[in-house]
Amino acid sequence: MLRLWPVRQLSRIQNALGLTQTAFKSSQPAPAPDLVEVFIDDKQVFVEPGTTVLQACATAGVEIPRFCYHDRLSIAGNCRMCLVEVEKSAKPIASCAMPVMKGMKVKTDSPLTRKAREGVMEFLLVNHPLDCPICDQGGECDLQDQSMAFGSDRSRFTDNAFTGKRAVEDKNIGPLIKTIMTRCIHCTRCIRFASEVAGVDDLGTSGRGTEMQVGTYVEKMFKSELSGNVIDLCPVGALTSKPYAFTTRPWETRRIESIDVMDAVGSNIVVSMRTNEVMRILPRLNEDINEEWISDKTRFAYDGLKRQRLTTPFVRNSKGDLIPTDWETAFFDIADRVKNIVPSSIAGIAGCHTDLETLVCLKDMVNRLGSELLCTEESFPMINSGTDFRSNYVMNTTIAGIEESDLVFLVGTNPRLEGSLVNARIRKSWVHNEMCVFALGAPVDLSYDYQYLGDSFSVLKDIADGTHVLAKALAEAEKPMIILGSDALQKSDSNLILDTVRSIAKNAKKASKHPDWKVFNVLHRNASQVGALDMGYQPGVDILKCNKPNLVFLVGADAGKLTEDDILGNSGVIYIGSHGDAGAQMADVVLPGAAYTEKDAMYVNTEGRAQIGRQAVSPPGMARHDWKIIRALSEILGVTLPYDKLSDVRSRLAEISPTFDRPGRAEETGFEDISDNVVIDKMAVKGTEAPVAPVLLKLRDFYMTDPISRASPTMAKCVQAYDESEKNPYSRPEAS
Amino acid sequence: MATPRIVQQGVKQVKPLMSVDRTEARRRVLNLYKAWYRQIPYVVKDFYLPITVKMGRDKVRELFLKNKHVTDIRNIDMLVIKGQMDLVETANIWKQRNHVMMFFKDTVNPKPTDFLSKFYEGQE
Repeated sequence: MLRLWPVRQLSRIQNALGLTQTAFKSSQPAPAPDLVEVFIDDKQVFVEPGTTVLQACATAGVEIPRFCYHDRLSIAGNCRMCLVEVEKSAKPIASCAMPVMKGMKVKTDSPLTRKAREGVMEFLLVNHPLDCPICDQGGECDLQDQSMAFGSDRSRFTDNAFTGKRAVEDKNIGPLIKTIMTRCIHCTRCIRFASEVAGVDDLGTSGRGTEMQVGTYVEKMFKSELSGNVIDLCPVGALTSKPYAFTTRPWETRRIESIDVMDAVGSNIVVSMRTNEVMRILPRLNEDINEEWISDKTRFAYDGLKRQRLTTPFVRNSKGDLIPTDWETAFFDIADRVKNIVPSSIAGIAGCHTDLETLVCLKDMVNRLGSELLCTEESFPMINSGTDFRSNYVMNTTIAGIEESDLVFLVGTNPRLEGSLVNARIRKSWVHNEMCVFALGAPVDLSYDYQYLGDSFSVLKDIADGTHVLAKALAEAEKPMIILGSDALQKSDSNLILDTVRSIAKNAKKASKHPDWKVFNVLHRNASQVGALDMGYQPGVDILKCNKPNLVFLVGADAGKLTEDDILGNSGVIYIGSHGDAGAQMADVVLPGAAYTEKDAMYVNTEGRAQIGRQAVSPPGMARHDWKIIRALSEILGVTLPYDKLSDVRSRLAEISPTFDRPGRAEETGFEDISDNVVIDKMAVKGTEAPVAPVLLKLRDFYMTDPISRASPTMAKCVQAYDESEKNPYSRPEAS
Repeated sequence: MATPRIVQQGVKQVKPLMSVDRTEARRRVLNLYKAWYRQIPYVVKDFYLPITVKMGRDKVRELFLKNKHVTDIRNIDMLVIKGQMDLVETANIWKQRNHVMMFFKDTVNPKPTDFLSKFYEGQE
């Protein structure tokens, strides 16, 4: 979808030309816009002018049935289900598209309204198959529900000519979305979602009348990282989930509220569980983070939770094979290893999915053993004040704050694949406000237009020196945002990049008219990163490469940052985690842990918002909750941690940082100015030749990034389908 | 002045199960205890239990004392009724040997109490 008419810009031009109304020029403040009085079923309500009749009814507490209308999409007004009677109007009106007028008298339950609804429903059902018993939408279908509530009790449909009902060919739009297009009622929600929110104009309609079809016209994959959301949007069973097909009915499942860990956005999700199995994952409304969307990896990677799982402890024998064993043996084996080494050479590495409880237990145990070597896999430059101040490494403006911004500068990040919902926010703002986006990094497809500044460090330096065009734009912007990708900070030149970006942000902040506005933001990729940094973990494994530890605890660390050469002697690697991935392969002792749907756990997202995910299913086999493994191990190692219950760990977390004690809130960061002033080793700013580029470039790279998605067959199918679609001549080339 | 209804409900006499006062309830308990006490030698003999009469009587005493905290007369009566039923089932050999031996809980493992044994067991 192209950008909407830039209303604000228009008013700016008007202001400049002196065309503004005289009322605004007078010394009196502009009068508040008069509320419009409308009557909904003879109940008087006052609403803002310009609201639709449907919204006015909602404020009066009357819900109008609808199919095509959706809060977050543009208004189509084509399903006609929301027809209501308005006094002195000849015909019933479509309430979703009609703005309120003064003194309008709306009747939502009059005989005319009811007859109109019944008629619309009858027409819809004439062209809709009666296959509810085999339809995956059964039980959560808007058409089903509304035909029960508003439909007629009998059908006038008789197939006199025996031509059969309308039938539409099913479309293949990829391995995630199953289409049964005969069920489609042409509400066009999916089309509007694709073009407005996802920014992929692949879906559309062809033909008119009975011949109208929703689809891609030529068969191709619906290539979007948010494609799964059309399944939730579809009011009927035309678009359903392919992996979930024919597995459960919604009334059989239990819904558990949880938090996603596939990226650092921390999307709120609902885990549907039946018979101790995760059946599907759905989004949960959270206006501050994911609104009501989730990315495809969040939604579909759950089948990775059943594959490649570690279900029993393993110990490597003398021949080098991992042998399944019991917990006691594994623990004693570790105790033997710990006994023989210097305590200060024990290290711990936290991986991408590690929750706060596990992080704190690991830190406390390793510290009690007498070592300070604790780090995360993902690195972050420790220049100047390093990670001492929270504002140095979180997304300070918050995700919802993106909407206030008028200029976004992306450095070395591909937010579309690193934090899909952050990108959806930027796109939302790009469409509705007149936000400018600049990007330095790779020329990737971000689903909106942006000015590409290349990938060289010298551009960054020019901006910092103020010689670049963007430096001026940043200074003139009302609320500029700089989003620095964690990906760009993984190389050796990361110090330089961070330092330069900080100085750009500092200049922009100095020029900003809003002293409270925070310019500098970091977009992380790992759900554990911010929590680990909050807790005092060292970012990156460089510290271990210098120190050469004897014994390493890998807690879900599967990125393969640390190799066997970095470990001194053969005392070993102990892996605690859920999946048999890279970490378990190099380990000498493997302890099976729980995945994110199997534990009550807290995660801190890239905004610094701590959130609690609830346990949906129990860990498989002999697997245990990760923090309990460390707690039990600490007892064997003679440094018993004083936490027996989850509440004990949580109170310890609250001791460490009050932000852990207030789940759901993104605490505002402070001390930005101080953290800028702390300069410990100001390096001579010299150039670097390496490009400032993100790692994830194409949608193909998005699907498999962590142990869970790597183990997921659905994600593997997505990669396969992507490769196939590259051969399709009609497929839109991705990189812009 | 009429008593408020809620107070009336509170002081209402409940219908007794069997005993009307504590003395009567106590007598019923003692009678049941005596009946069990006298039955134990026959139980040990009839079921070929691998225990002595002394052990059996000690167990009866232990099980009675397990409920010594019960003060509600209706609760005491109900326990007496259940004990009586158990006695009849035992005396008539409607039970089998293992049912009687279940009073001793020989094969029941105690539940883990400390963190580590709970962890090994896989319990919370």
